[in-house]
Formats: sequence, C-alpha cells, structure tokens
Amino acid sequence: MSHLILAVPSKGRLQDNAMAFFARAGLPIVQARGGRGYVGHIKGLEGVEVLFLSASEIARELAGGGAHVGVTGEDLVRESIPDADKRIVMVEKLGFGYADVVVAVPEAWIDVSGMADLDDVAAGFRARHGRQLRIATKYINLTRRFFADHGVVDYRIVESLGATEGAPANGTADAIVDITTTGSTLAANALKVLADGVILKSQANLVASRQAKWTDAARRNLRTVLDRIAAEARAERVREIRFVVADLERVSTGAVAQFDARAPFGSLGEKGVLHVDASNVFAVVDWLKSEGASTITVQRLDYIFEPETTSWINVEAALP
Amino acid sequence: MSNSANTSARERFLAPFLAAGYAAVDPPVLQPAELMLDLLGEDLGRRLYLTTDAEGREWCLRPEMTLPVCRLHLVSGSHERLGAYAYHGAVFRQRQGAGVGEFTQAGAELLGRQDSEQADAEILAFALDVARRGGLACPVVRMGDAGLFRAFLGALDLTPSWRRRLSRAFGRGQLLPHTLPELSVQRKGLAKEGVLGALAGADRAGARALVEDLLAIGGLQAVGGRSVAEIADRFLEQAEDAAGGALPAATAQAIAEYLAISGPADQSVARLDALLASHRLDLGRARASLTLRLRAIEDARNGPADLVLDFGFGRRLDYYSGFVFEVEAEAAKAQPAIGGGRYDGLVTLLGAPTPVPAVGFSVWIDRLAGAGA
Repeated sequence: MSHLILAVPSKGRLQDNAMAFFARAGLPIVQARGGRGYVGHIKGLEGVEVLFLSASEIARELAGGGAHVGVTGEDLVRESIPDADKRIVMVEKLGFGYADVVVAVPEAWIDVSGMADLDDVAAGFRARHGRQLRIATKYINLTRRFFADHGVVDYRIVESLGATEGAPANGTADAIVDITTTGSTLAANALKVLADGVILKSQANLVASRQAKWTDAARRNLRTVLDRIAAEARAERVREIRFVVADLERVSTGAVAQFDARAPFGSLGEKGVLHVDASNVFAVVDWLKSEGASTITVQRLDYIFEPETTSWINVEAALP
Repeated sequence: MSNSANTSARERFLAPFLAAGYAAVDPPVLQPAELMLDLLGEDLGRRLYLTTDAEGREWCLRPEMTLPVCRLHLVSGSHERLGAYAYHGAVFRQRQGAGVGEFTQAGAELLGRQDSEQADAEILAFALDVARRGGLACPVVRMGDAGLFRAFLGALDLTPSWRRRLSRAFGRGQLLPHTLPELSVQRKGLAKEGVLGALAGADRAGARALVEDLLAIGGLQAVGGRSVAEIADRFLEQAEDAAGGALPAATAQAIAEYLAISGPADQSVARLDALLASHRLDLGRARASLTLRLRAIEDARNGPADLVLDFGFGRRLDYYSGFVFEVEAEAAKAQPAIGGGRYDGLVTLLGAPTPVPAVGFSVWIDRLAGAGA
C-alpha cells in the first residue's frame, strides 16, 4: 500500500484539537460514516488514509510502523516506546494537549518538599513500616528513569490504570506519579507536587515513525502535509505590508536590514511588499511613513509557502 | 556453545568448590517476582522477564543468583546452619536493543559463618582463583568496607539526617562529588523557615505535639501510610538541621580525607590510623575487624594479586553491610568481571527469623573470557 497513514486521536478534546489543527492547515479530515467511523481521509488530498485510534494505540502503532505519522502526547511516546529515538521522530509540537507528568505526595507530608526528602523517607520506610514505599502510576518507565536519575532506589511501583490520584487516600499507595494540567485534581485529593518533581512537560506532538514502510508516495504526501502545516504556521506569525514608495529598492533593503523583514516578491517598480513579524507591524508602518511611503495596507495571509520546509528536511533526514 | 561444552565449563568451575566441601546448587529458574522486585529495586525490575501463572501469581526468570541461593538455604533446613554453596548457570535480564537477555553467572555464597573475617577471606581467595583460571595472571582487586564507613560516620558528630544522607550517597558513589559539597553550604530559601526556626531548640515532646496539632487543625490527614508522629519527627529534625547550619568544615574535611584513602592495603591502613588519631576517633570493633580480615586475606590467598584497599569504594549499602570487593576484567574495561561482599541483612529480609551472616561473590562469565576453560 502506498498510502500515507496518519493516526489521530479518536475521542475527546485531543481529537477536537487535532481535527481543528489539520483543518486550519488546509487539511480537513473527513471521518467515514458521518463522524462515527474509525477511518477517514483528507478532503482534496489523495493518498492519505486517516486512522482514529486512542492516543496510546497511536504511540504503539508509530513504534511498530503501523502508521507513518500520528498525533500523540510526548508523555506516551517517552513512556511506551523503548529506545524512542531509534523508532520515531518528533516532528512538531502542536500547542495543545498540555500536561505535566509529576511526582506528588500527600500535603500532610510537610517534611517533604523535594526529591531528596522523598529519597530520605523512602530509604527509612522499610525499617519503619516493614514494606517499601509505594508509588502508584501508569508511567512505569518514566518513573523508574526519573527516580534512578535522582538516586531514589527504595520504592515499589503499584501499577494504576485510572484514578491514580485517589491511591494515597484509599491506601493502595503512598505517593503518585501522574499527569496534571491545572493541578486542581491533585489539590482536591490533598496532594502536592514536589518542587523538583516535574518529570516531563508534555504536549501533543506530530510524530513520524522510522519503522513504517516509506514509499515514494508516502514521502511525497508527508511532504505536502508538512508544507501546509508550516505554511499555515508561518502565516500565523507574519503580516503582509503593501505600500507605494518612490525609491523602492532603497526602502525595501532598509526594512529588511532594520526589521528582519522579507521582500518576497523583490523590489522593482514602486509597489512594495514586505513580510514582517506580527509584533513588528506598526514599527515598520511608522518607519515606512517616515521614508515617504503612501497607501500602506496590512493584511493577514492564509498560507505562506516557502521553498523549503524545515520540519520536512529534519524528518526526511531521519527516515530510512 | 554446545550443551556438553557448557556442562563441562560448569563442572570445571565447580570442581574446586566441591573439593572444599561446598554444595553445587541450581536454584529454580522461576522466582517470585514480588520478592525479587522488592529486594533488587525497580531499577533492575524493568529488566526482569515476567510471567503469570494460572492463579495470577507473578514469576520472573532469575535475574541473579544470590537471592535464589539464599531462598534455597532457607527452605531446605534451619536458617542457622552453615551453608556453603557454589553455582554456575543462566540468569536473565532484558537488554536494550535486540540482544538476547540470557547470561551465564557463576559464584559462591557462604551463609551462617560466625567468623566473618575468615569467611570474607575465603570468598576473596576463591574469587581470585577464579580470576586467575579465567586468564588474569595477576588480578586487580578493589576492596572497600561498608561497615567501617558506618562506624566512621557513627564516631563523627553528625545529626541523624546527615548521617543517613552521607551513608546513602556513599553507596551510590555520589558522596565526594555531590553530597559533601551540598551539605557544606548553609541551606537557603527554606519555605518553612519561620516555623522551622521557631521550633529549633524547643523541647522535643512539646514541639512534636505542636506539629501534630498543626496538622490536625489544617485538616491534613496523614494519608499514604506515614503516621503523623513520623512526619512531625522528621519535620523537627529539619528544624534542628536548619538551626545547626552547615556541616562543620573540619568534619567535611575528615570525611573527604577518609574517602580519598586508596592504595596498597598496608599503606591505606597506616593513613587511616593517622586520620583517626588526628581527629581522635575510635571506630572500635569495625577497626579491629579490618586488621583481622587483612591478615586472613594474606593467609588465604594462594597466588599473585594486586590488592587495593580503597575507603571511598562503596557498593549499595542497603544490600552490602561490610567487606566489598570487585575484580576488574582488564584495566581498560569499565565493568568489573567479579563482584562480591558481605550482606548480613539480606537473609532476614527473605524471612529468616534471626540475622544470618552471609558473604559471597559472583562472576559474569562473558566478561571473564577464559573462565573455567
């Protein structure tokens, strides 16, 4: 099969955000069976097959090469894919699905504020209580790595498959490692995050598989997808300024040098076009006025396509 | 390797032990996963091969031999009897990447011997013998002493929390580079400085009651298996540490000097005694034990070896309690081929009703190329 297989989350806010993200980039995803199907396609782009899977299934499929690219959280990638950098490439942070993976202990532990305290408590735990300190989590690998980095060795992991934050209160564990976005669930369960207990600041990522079968068609399609994403992202950051001025070449060169602007269509004649960072717009306008420009307009663009897309160059270098 | 070649390698390894009255053992390959995880730690836990039986009990393929041999000792008779065991067999640890996680480990364990120094020396002599048979004409051995370091910390004027922290860092090799410098500077920016400061120097029972009341008023339930009293005690300890300031420079200096002592055994002992004399420290039984052990090692060893006594050398202290040693595979190789030591606390954790003195060593056969061949 020469299709590019794109895996996106099948439910919840993550799905809504992912669908909106692709739609903004000119890649509207159409779900089969009126939004209830588990497959779909991108309207107007042949050769891309969309699979709707849970975020953890997406991580697994990317690791095994069952999908070429997918949207999933960095937490799941780091947790569930051993040797992640050999199997996948992180293409792009998507700006949604924020979640921190943290170490949290009961608020009542007023003597514990950091990992060094937790280490001390853990080391004396068996002598005091006849068993190891227990940490409830579904992030077994992240926890082991982080605790090892902090030299904490005297603990046991209790695997938790849901409502991890309730484990200390119901006596199945002493502390937890879990994700948090606002911290309110932790607070509601009388838990606090350790000062140096943030294991990972995660968000949704576009991730490419290095294990998938990369045909020429799949590569071509991924490049199209990444071109559009980058073009939309650049259009979001940049404003286009049009103006009329007598000595266009001098003014254009000046703007490029002074404001890190770009003159995408050259500087011949007297009608100028500049692309500038959105935060610089009014500074450039004022400066153009002082240089004698008239009829200055500023507009947002939908897409700005560049000759080379950085994310594609990076991914292509990592693909087999 | 063919089966018969493997068998004969095993027989060749075991022969000297059998001649000395050791029993050759082959403990079950399947071991209870819970117990192994509990005693070996989560860090090795991620490398276990796990399986579940029909009743839902979790088992693992043995990742090392010492614990299975000790379990065998416990189930086959009184825990107090003498046990001398030698083994040579497969252990299983998952490796990153595609490599097969089956290795050959061999070694010996001595359980129940009350003459600890003699037992230490006997085990080291066997380890050296194995190293020489494995092709190291003059093995390089690094020796340390966890019991002596404990006694040293005990003799210094330290708060309990400092002693615990120094002791843990020692076993992990972090003491000189990290922990000692950290403890030598005054801790700053403690959020609890106000309360901690107010509690410092207060009568302990009264202060503890106050902290317990504070927790109760705040509605903070002692969840997660720790008691309010325990939390209060440790909180007060922090108050005392904060009031006491940094580790005194002279104490930090003494610890640094102690850890830096490394060299031929007689020279290291002389430097140790000079250090103890200058700081007027008496390590009691632990110091006497060192001399007894070194003498026993001289008597027991039966060939050339380069013995280095390094007081900064520690292995995991929750596991090893006294004499520890490593034989380097070759000067250039990072990982030791043979490691061993005394683990007096371990058999109790496996269920022995009273402590069982224990010492042993194990060999990674792959790292010691010609072993037994």
